[in-house]
Amino acid sequence: MDRRKFLQTAGIVSGTVFMGSCGSERDQNKLISYLVPPEDGVTPGKALWYATTCTECTAGCGAMVRVREGRPVKIEGIPEHPVSRGGLCMRGQSSLWRLYHPERIKTPLLRQEGGFLEISWEEALGRIRENLDVARSEGRRSVYLAGRTTGSLSEMIDLFGETAGVERLPEFEYFSHAALRRSYGALFGREEIPHFPIDEADVLLTVGADLLETFLSPVDFAARYSEAVSRENFRWFHAEPHMSLTGANAHRRLILKPGGEAALLAHLLRTSASGGRKPPRAVLDSLPELSPQDAADATGLGEKSLRELTEAWAGAKRPMVIAGGVSVGQRGGEAVSLLAGLLQGMHGWADFSRAENYGNVGNANDLAKLSDRLATGGIGVIFISRTNPVYHAPDDLHLSARLRQPDLAVGFADLPDETTRELDLILPVSHTYESWGDTEPRRGIRTLIRPAVQPLYDTRSEGGILLELAGKGESYRDWLFSRWSGRFGEKALGEFASRGYLVEEAPGEKAQFDPADAIDVLKRIDFAQTAGPGLWITPSIRAFDGRSRPLKLLSEVPDPLTTISYGRWVSVPEADAKRLKIRDGEEVRLSSGDWSVELPARIQPGLLKGRFTVHREHLHRAPFGIDPDTGEFIVRLDGPRVEKTGVKRPLAVLAGSTSRQGRGIIPDPVHREAKKEEVHARLYPEHEHPEYRWAMAVDLRRCIGCGACAAACYVENNVPVTGQKDHLKGREMSWLRIEPYYRDDGAVEFVPMLCQHCHFAPCEPVCPVYAAYHNPQGLNVQVYNRCVGTRYCSNNCPYKVRRFNWWPHKAEEPLRRMHNPDVPVRARGVMEKCTFCIQRIRAAGDAAKDEGRKIRDGEVMPACAQSCPTSAIVFGNLKDLEAKVTRLSKADRAYRIFDVLGTESSVYYLKGQE
Amino acid sequence: MNKTDPIEARERFESDVLSVMGRPGFRYFAALGFCAFLVTLGFGLWGWQIFRGVGVAGISHPVGWGVYITNFVFWVGIAHSGTLISAVLFLFRAKFRTSFNRAAEAMTVFALMVAGLFPLIHLGRVWIFYYLLPYPNQRLLWPNFRSPLIWDVFAVTTYMIVSLVFFYVGMIPDLAVARRRLKGFASRIFAILSLGWNGSLGQWRHYNKLYIFLAAFATPLVASVHSIVSWDFAVSIVPGWHTTIFAPYFVAGAILSGTAMVITLVWPMQRILKLENYITTDHFEAIAKILLLTSLIVSYSYIVETGFAFYGEHPFEAEQFRYRSFGDYAVLYWVMIFCNSLLPLTLFVRRLRRSLPYLFVLSLLVNVGMWIERFVIIVNSLARDYDPYAWGTYTPSPVEIGITLMSFGLFFLLYLIFLKVLPILSITELKEHHG
Amino acid sequence: MNEPLLFDNSDDFLRALRQLKEEGKTWRELRLHMPFNVPEVEEILEVPAGGMRFFAVAGALAGFLGGFALTIYTVLDWPIIVGGKPIVSVPPFLLIAYILTILFGSLAVFGGFLLLARMPSVREIRECRDFGNHFAILPGEEEGPWKQ
Repeated sequence: MDRRKFLQTAGIVSGTVFMGSCGSERDQNKLISYLVPPEDGVTPGKALWYATTCTECTAGCGAMVRVREGRPVKIEGIPEHPVSRGGLCMRGQSSLWRLYHPERIKTPLLRQEGGFLEISWEEALGRIRENLDVARSEGRRSVYLAGRTTGSLSEMIDLFGETAGVERLPEFEYFSHAALRRSYGALFGREEIPHFPIDEADVLLTVGADLLETFLSPVDFAARYSEAVSRENFRWFHAEPHMSLTGANAHRRLILKPGGEAALLAHLLRTSASGGRKPPRAVLDSLPELSPQDAADATGLGEKSLRELTEAWAGAKRPMVIAGGVSVGQRGGEAVSLLAGLLQGMHGWADFSRAENYGNVGNANDLAKLSDRLATGGIGVIFISRTNPVYHAPDDLHLSARLRQPDLAVGFADLPDETTRELDLILPVSHTYESWGDTEPRRGIRTLIRPAVQPLYDTRSEGGILLELAGKGESYRDWLFSRWSGRFGEKALGEFASRGYLVEEAPGEKAQFDPADAIDVLKRIDFAQTAGPGLWITPSIRAFDGRSRPLKLLSEVPDPLTTISYGRWVSVPEADAKRLKIRDGEEVRLSSGDWSVELPARIQPGLLKGRFTVHREHLHRAPFGIDPDTGEFIVRLDGPRVEKTGVKRPLAVLAGSTSRQGRGIIPDPVHREAKKEEVHARLYPEHEHPEYRWAMAVDLRRCIGCGACAAACYVENNVPVTGQKDHLKGREMSWLRIEPYYRDDGAVEFVPMLCQHCHFAPCEPVCPVYAAYHNPQGLNVQVYNRCVGTRYCSNNCPYKVRRFNWWPHKAEEPLRRMHNPDVPVRARGVMEKCTFCIQRIRAAGDAAKDEGRKIRDGEVMPACAQSCPTSAIVFGNLKDLEAKVTRLSKADRAYRIFDVLGTESSVYYLKGQE
Repeated sequence: MNKTDPIEARERFESDVLSVMGRPGFRYFAALGFCAFLVTLGFGLWGWQIFRGVGVAGISHPVGWGVYITNFVFWVGIAHSGTLISAVLFLFRAKFRTSFNRAAEAMTVFALMVAGLFPLIHLGRVWIFYYLLPYPNQRLLWPNFRSPLIWDVFAVTTYMIVSLVFFYVGMIPDLAVARRRLKGFASRIFAILSLGWNGSLGQWRHYNKLYIFLAAFATPLVASVHSIVSWDFAVSIVPGWHTTIFAPYFVAGAILSGTAMVITLVWPMQRILKLENYITTDHFEAIAKILLLTSLIVSYSYIVETGFAFYGEHPFEAEQFRYRSFGDYAVLYWVMIFCNSLLPLTLFVRRLRRSLPYLFVLSLLVNVGMWIERFVIIVNSLARDYDPYAWGTYTPSPVEIGITLMSFGLFFLLYLIFLKVLPILSITELKEHHG
Repeated sequence: MNEPLLFDNSDDFLRALRQLKEEGKTWRELRLHMPFNVPEVEEILEVPAGGMRFFAVAGALAGFLGGFALTIYTVLDWPIIVGGKPIVSVPPFLLIAYILTILFGSLAVFGGFLLLARMPSVREIRECRDFGNHFAILPGEEEGPWKQ
């Protein structure tokens, strides 16, 4: 049984309990007795898996919820899921923190003088009905503003709107991709975003689009990148003015002049015109003149880099371009997205059959319109669901004040945020893992949302609330089921339930490519309109558009590029740091006009002079306004004043150094023939591991440093989340970390660092009490009960992967319920570290023993490997000569870190690209 | 000294030494009280650390050992010169040792008592410290004899026991004297403590052998205990620790700090207790010469260590020594060089060597320098080892500083008590040398 | 000669001893008390070396062998691989054996001393029988069951 079959079977098992109720925590005060037959689907010691959808962002990745004793304890990706392909990002891994968040809204809340009053659902719904009636009778419109909504819930909102007379507003998303949609509308007549199978391209050029962080469907892009990068002929250029994780992973990062995106794309359009794939005559004619020299100047790339790109492009069979992110979040972003769309159209990449489903999403201009409507007082009841417009709206919209204007402002929310603070009535919605539903992130791809646990509090699903408000007597679940069976048929419904997704037939229609509508915009492009120094607001892999900020785990896992865990900061180029004489943690003031912000600095290698970046979640509001042409938020501020304030603010930077200090952590060169064969003399006979010797192979070419593995490890292994104070002291507890190492040219290499389970482990012999020892399966084990806490093992670990429990780490209620019962919670004063998920090895070993066989290759999958969107981590038994890990360990690219020390570690790294 | 009447001379030795044990004055109680305060404070802080977790200390990741282990090594080092003076100089028949040996032996015992606390204090779970002891238990598990920490347990306890026995055995004839000279309850206590010593040939003939054997057993300990302590570091693979010269280097350092501590203790003792007749400038000069010698050995070790790093083509080791000299703790490093290597060179000048106030100040600075040496070795090496991502720094927390002060308080408290309850010079040996 | 002979200084005392020796007295027939050790006494009276060295050797040997026995027995009792080192790791065990050699040797000579010198002696503790700062020579033998 391989991993996939295993998980499939687990899915089928969970399907059999599909109609049954889920494990309930409510009214269970007794320990579950082993004498009583299991009821309620709860078998002590047995995990149930529920296939559902992650909704931490709207990408719609498939998630399996692992439920133990009625409690969801872990989220894993659904293998072969059409969106996420088995992986999850760190936000998805952390989504349980939302379910168990201590600040969850537990009952409906009504605004009162000086706070909120807990009220009953009857009263809350009664008030809404009352106000809807009043508004209707007095001729005021009621409106419904949601975050991106797809699938049945979208239909439910329409249904509710019809019956209750509520107008559905364009949905609000910070990442609305409005410019792109507008361009596709102009070029292809479809205001949608086509699906980008980047693995099918041979040359990929991304312009500002942060594929690996937040753009559309990052896990999907990561998985496809992983497939593409293992091919020889794949080449990826990423053009951006600043430095992003995506740029760090591209083969070539083209550092643009701010505003040079259009020139780059136009140049590409012109040069590729010579090949067989010609852009329409009209387009070329309307484009302003741009000589190669001008292009080199306007993009700031220099002719050599530019030529490298154009030659690769010209030589490519299927080149692909994707624009987005910071490149369209600026004035002139419309031209950038149009030019990218033209190139896509030329090369046949505009496939809308699986378009990203942004049909209901509006743009920031719509928010401005709403603000105006609120100001004029024409709105009776406003519903705001799953979105935080107050957080994103520019100050001049005065949204928070104007939300007091309607008769009743109703919010659907799970956690309090900037928007709920301004509302009159907050309805607590159940977490996705407590609800029924579905999503349709792409056309024709339905993913299932199903409860893995009964609601922890007095919460309801949004659909259920709307159904009740619409006056339908049935439950939302029944309503969903009748719609599903109507749409898919009974047979497909079973598949839907067991797999968690359903792929419907793609519509055959082709989009018509007609650039006529684009001509006007193209004519107006001014390539000389580039800028100098600037401040960019960049999306963050940890908080998305800021919505995942409340999840503490995402602050615990550091930002991949800066390795800062807690706190806010601005990334400062090395050159400016030198000029301003600032060091990490010293505060700088960035200002422009009457806007200013003070943030501690983090010196970021790879940023050109004058390019400051700050993460979206570290700035309040949208300080740089909205682009009226596209309705995108502007993310670039030109020519900010930057000065040192003289204040020092401690910054939790986890990396002791950004450079690998020439220490061979990633050796150059790496190929075996070029490598000096190191022969370690041995004084003693080697110890034998007859059956298993567990080992791991990490492909650094695939690793994108996204940190999903680290987050997964935290959840799987009950690793304590310690908080800022401990992080400032270097007391983070992560068993697995991503170490970013910057080369002199600004390129980054990510090295996942975890316990290396050395064959000759330096930590073991120094332990006076045998708390660290080598088990017969080749694992370096830590016996918590035995540990007296001398910390010698940690001192002697060259990889510094051991973590000491400085405090008794008590998880807050109800976060405690997330603890994996298979893994002990460590006491204070003991050392801990990565175990290679020994609990999973044991479980697989038990299963194998029952069947009288050995553990098969791929049967054991540590949490990190399972979560990895790029499948960079392979785990297995070195004694099995057929195992994938054995093969990889003998690959030419394979090496071990600090091999010179003779530790013979069991983690093999496969060197990435040059 | 007057050689005319031997009985009178002997009685004067007795009364001079025993008069120290008289009723203490205000200053004594003030000093005692201050030390007791530090001890109470320190133990309170330790209690707090046990209650809250080791997190109240400043140690963290990657610097898992800090001031606690620094103190441990420092105090074990202090202990060494006691044994050196009493055992090694005895075997070498160096007569000047008589003036110091009781004080030095007491210093050994008390320093070891203080040192022994620190491995306990630094444990994450001190309540199961007995897991480190080899005894049959229900867990059927024994300690790991390959761990240097277990060697420590054995070496330090052995050293403690042997030093205590040596200290006690050397005192038995004096205890009998105290018994004879003192009255009442004290006399009875000393009678028991002296085990009925009466100076008969039957006791003396075995006593002489005992003392020689003990000295012979204790002498290798001078070299081995601090070697083993040094192997706590040298056996690891941490750059800056993993080096073969550590054992002799540490032993020399231990004796350097120990002789400095002898001067620190004995000079005030000589001044306050008016023992100028017994502890002379010549004696101090002899100690100062040992100090100078060991300082030279230590300086040589510094040079060798840096040479290894410089010529070793080992990037980790090279970075370690660059960091020591110019990194976050560079100031401490140069203070260490000044105190341990440069300052003692002045002892080549005879006048300075014989100036007791100068020696006292120098000894204080050498103590400081030797404490810093251990700090520099421990903290720097851990702060910058192999993985650059895991580099970090360490600052002692108030709890650690308080507990460090406690260790000094405890040491001086024990020493003050010793001054008042036991003969501080070897009366019998004084008599023997006087003839 | 029933009264003790008292001497103020060691020269007179040694002279008297030499005389007694010439008179044919052996060390067994005399009881001597000394305020401090005078090495010449044993030379003059030709006192044999005594049993201390046996204690020293026995203790040291017991420590050495015991150290190896303890370490080897415990690792074989539950063989655990640490750091890929052999189960019976001689160099560290040698260290334990060495330390125990010293410990047991020291304790053995101390114990041997108490045994041979018949200490602690309740009678002596109760009643002081020394002669202060005088050297004393008494007739008769040293008492006790283990006299030599």
